[in-house]
Amino acid sequence: MRKNFARRRPTIALVLYLGPLILAVAVLSGCIGNRYVAPLTTFRNETRQTVGVLSDFYASRNSYEIDIYLQTIAADQSQKIQEKDSQGHPTPLGAPVFSPAGIKARMDALNLVGVYAGKLYDLANPDQSASFGDAANALGKNLSSLSDTFQKLDGTSDPTAKNYIGLVSGLVGTIGQMYIDRKRDELITSAIRTGAPQVDAILSQIRDDMDKIFSLEVTTGANDKLATLIRAYNEGREKLTFEQRVSRLAEVKAAANEAAAAVGSAPSNVVAAMMDAHTKLVKFANSPKKQRPGSFAEFNSALQGWTTQIQTVASQIKLIIH
Amino acid sequence: MITVDTTTLADIINQCFAFSADGRFSDDQQGDFLADGKRLRGLLLNLISAQFNDGTQSVLDANIKLTEVNKQLDKDAVVLANATQALNNVANLVGTLDKLLNVAASFL
Repeated sequence: MRKNFARRRPTIALVLYLGPLILAVAVLSGCIGNRYVAPLTTFRNETRQTVGVLSDFYASRNSYEIDIYLQTIAADQSQKIQEKDSQGHPTPLGAPVFSPAGIKARMDALNLVGVYAGKLYDLANPDQSASFGDAANALGKNLSSLSDTFQKLDGTSDPTAKNYIGLVSGLVGTIGQMYIDRKRDELITSAIRTGAPQVDAILSQIRDDMDKIFSLEVTTGANDKLATLIRAYNEGREKLTFEQRVSRLAEVKAAANEAAAAVGSAPSNVVAAMMDAHTKLVKFANSPKKQRPGSFAEFNSALQGWTTQIQTVASQIKLIIH
Repeated sequence: MITVDTTTLADIINQCFAFSADGRFSDDQQGDFLADGKRLRGLLLNLISAQFNDGTQSVLDANIKLTEVNKQLDKDAVVLANATQALNNVANLVGTLDKLLNVAASFL
């Protein structure tokens, strides 16, 4: 009896030692969660969608201008198709209206924002098995050797030790996870702070591009198409069959829808919504603990606004770029 | 560096396209507005990324002209009453803007 008690004494001592620690971990683990997982997952997903939609828009610019040029030729039988006009200026068929290098640079910048959002997501959602080893190392030998100690006791002198193996392993995991979460929180906060100015600069540039260049291109282009089709119909309507008129009028209707969608700079709006969400993300990352619920709510609200914009813009851009 | 007032230019272009489908103008006038709108749009796409040295007089003059023409086209009644004059003003504007391409310092 006395011998058995003596054999169990190390286990009891460890349980007495670990009891309060387990309790503390249980309480703390509820307090220190990874606050970034959900918002950064949404941020990454919305960024991907936005980058996709805007990339399609950028990629279609020169093709769009060729369409308008060819439509003008089609509507006016007196005009020949040419690569250069009578003054030697290249037509959209002869040379791209927007330099391919300029388009690529814009798409690269957008993709960079996508990479940034992806990296933030990766930081918030690391591979658990991979991160555990790092955490164990970071926690030091004492904690990991505690688990090893219990492993060695299993099946040897202490028959009850095996009951604690899972518990201790779980504890090490929880403490490790807490450490990771704390480290992760610091890393993400730092990444957001460091990346924010560059991301803001890129998005501002893209928004300005949309407002000053592409918005004007798209609104005038859509009105050009509509006016060309109306003129072509009015001039040729007497020679058209009923079916041909119906077909032409359907094209006019589509062009009118496109012209309506072009008003209001839809691509610029989605960039503005993205910038708003990013600003709220930075505010959330920088906010002191007491203000986090409020800034988190603001961030979520901005994400929702952004999501709505993406859906609206995606459908409008489809009309614009076909 | 200064730039051409492309926002006002876009307004003029859109107004030209609107007049080209406006039954209050004759067929010929509608056709002229469409042709001018297209010419101006071609210039817009070239000038949209053009930058000019500060104080370039031809750009300053062109921007004043853009504002004047836009004001004229903004009043339907005035344009309808004097469509020929409005079309002449637009045609002059095309010539003015065309010359700017040769003095641009750079294109972004």
